[in-house]
Amino acid sequence: METVVEIEHLNKSFGSKEVLKDINIKIDKGENLVVLGKSGSGKSVLIKCLVGLIVPDGGKIVLLGENILDLKERQLNVLRKRVGFLFQSAALYDSMTVRENLAFPLRDQKSKSKEETDALVMEAITNVGLADAIDKMPSELSGGMRKRIGLARTLILKPEIILYDEPTTGLDPITSKEISELILDIQKKYNSASIIITHDVECARITANRMVVIKDGAVFAEGTFKELSESKDEWVNSFFKHG
Amino acid sequence: MPIDLKISGAVLEKGSSPGVIPLLNAFKSFFAAVTQLSLFAWRFLKEVFKPRYEFSELVKQSYLIGYKSFPLVAITGFIMGLVLTIQSRPTLAEFGAESWLPAMVAISIIREIGPVITALIFAGKVGSGIGAELASMKVTEQIDAMEVSGMNPFKYIVITRVVAATFMLPVLVIIADAIAMYGSYIGVNLKGDVSFHLFFLQVIGKLSFTDIFPATIKTFFFGFAVGLIGCYKGYNSNNGTEGVGQSANSAVVIGSLAVFIIDMIAVQITSFFT
Repeated sequence: METVVEIEHLNKSFGSKEVLKDINIKIDKGENLVVLGKSGSGKSVLIKCLVGLIVPDGGKIVLLGENILDLKERQLNVLRKRVGFLFQSAALYDSMTVRENLAFPLRDQKSKSKEETDALVMEAITNVGLADAIDKMPSELSGGMRKRIGLARTLILKPEIILYDEPTTGLDPITSKEISELILDIQKKYNSASIIITHDVECARITANRMVVIKDGAVFAEGTFKELSESKDEWVNSFFKHG
Repeated sequence: MPIDLKISGAVLEKGSSPGVIPLLNAFKSFFAAVTQLSLFAWRFLKEVFKPRYEFSELVKQSYLIGYKSFPLVAITGFIMGLVLTIQSRPTLAEFGAESWLPAMVAISIIREIGPVITALIFAGKVGSGIGAELASMKVTEQIDAMEVSGMNPFKYIVITRVVAATFMLPVLVIIADAIAMYGSYIGVNLKGDVSFHLFFLQVIGKLSFTDIFPATIKTFFFGFAVGLIGCYKGYNSNNGTEGVGQSANSAVVIGSLAVFIIDMIAVQITSFFT
């Protein structure tokens, strides 16, 4: 199986606080990896390091065969188009309609005509089941709809890797389940690899092929959902009991 | 008293005056902020001529920054001309120089009051708006979202707004000056009877190239400073939603201060050539 994400000995500190300690993770093509951990355990910092939003202090991050820490700004931007990122808040552009939000990542693709861009926008919004909302402003959307549109914007470039930052946080259980199932559908449809940062055990159960539990910035446990949910370790087990 | 200066923080040896510590910290913060702003301006100058050019966003920002500021600038301009005329009349009348009123008001407005007052209004409206908008985009991760989609948010957000502010302020100042002159014409006629034609001839007759040209040139710098400072404060905002208010506030304060500093330099340069 082809490895698409390779993280080796990754470290990051903010001042005297060590946020990531010697993280080693590998993800194969088409695999969903769930990163589970308490709030403030360094999960979001980890995926922000993967797309160059935060520069790590040490270690190696290889995405799709390229060490991102060796790339220049322009090369990194080319690589970023192959990696999707769904933010916790969905991060929709407030001043643009849903249609403009979805078309935004396609701006650099001069070879695409307006008709082709429109077709891609329609395909992306249909995939998340919100074609009716195409001309709405983000302020008119509910939390779940915003997440779906954020996901559609992430999918428009058909990324090979998708990073989800707490995709179900702040949503009701039914909408959370819908988003989790959507993540699974996307994996099947695009054969993309995903890292899903969450502390929602139900989301992890639905989406995970493999899981990593982070404690105090370090990988504490690794395995499938079944293995970890049956763990003898009290701390790991407490996630599943209280989740 | 010997002082042990450390880069990470101003530290005094035992027995030194404690009042020096805040002063040193203030100096350190000031120079750090000036350096950061200079680097931000340098990045702007490096990227402004490089493609990709965001023309449609530039047009949109020019509309929002220029056209949407027009009513406020127009009202301010009118009041400026009217009030200056009414206030100046008694003094000129004392010297029997009432006929100089249109020319004096025109020179005052076009050389100094029009550009500075319009720039201050512009800093209050546009500078705070840009600061708050960008800070809000930063807090809600919209700038990060642009970055991870492989776009250059600096080009799309900062360059378009700074360029729009640089070119829209001179246009607004010209409009404000024209409306101020109309206000002055009404002011003159409150206690007199001067035709518009005569008023216009008196104004044009006393204005020279050195009144109009330097005053117009400096407004480009005013606009650039207001736009750049607003973008800098918003783009580098911290502290969540509290930071949004702080960014808007400091964009206005520093932008207004920058207008006065640029004006002082511009006056010195102009007086050197005239």
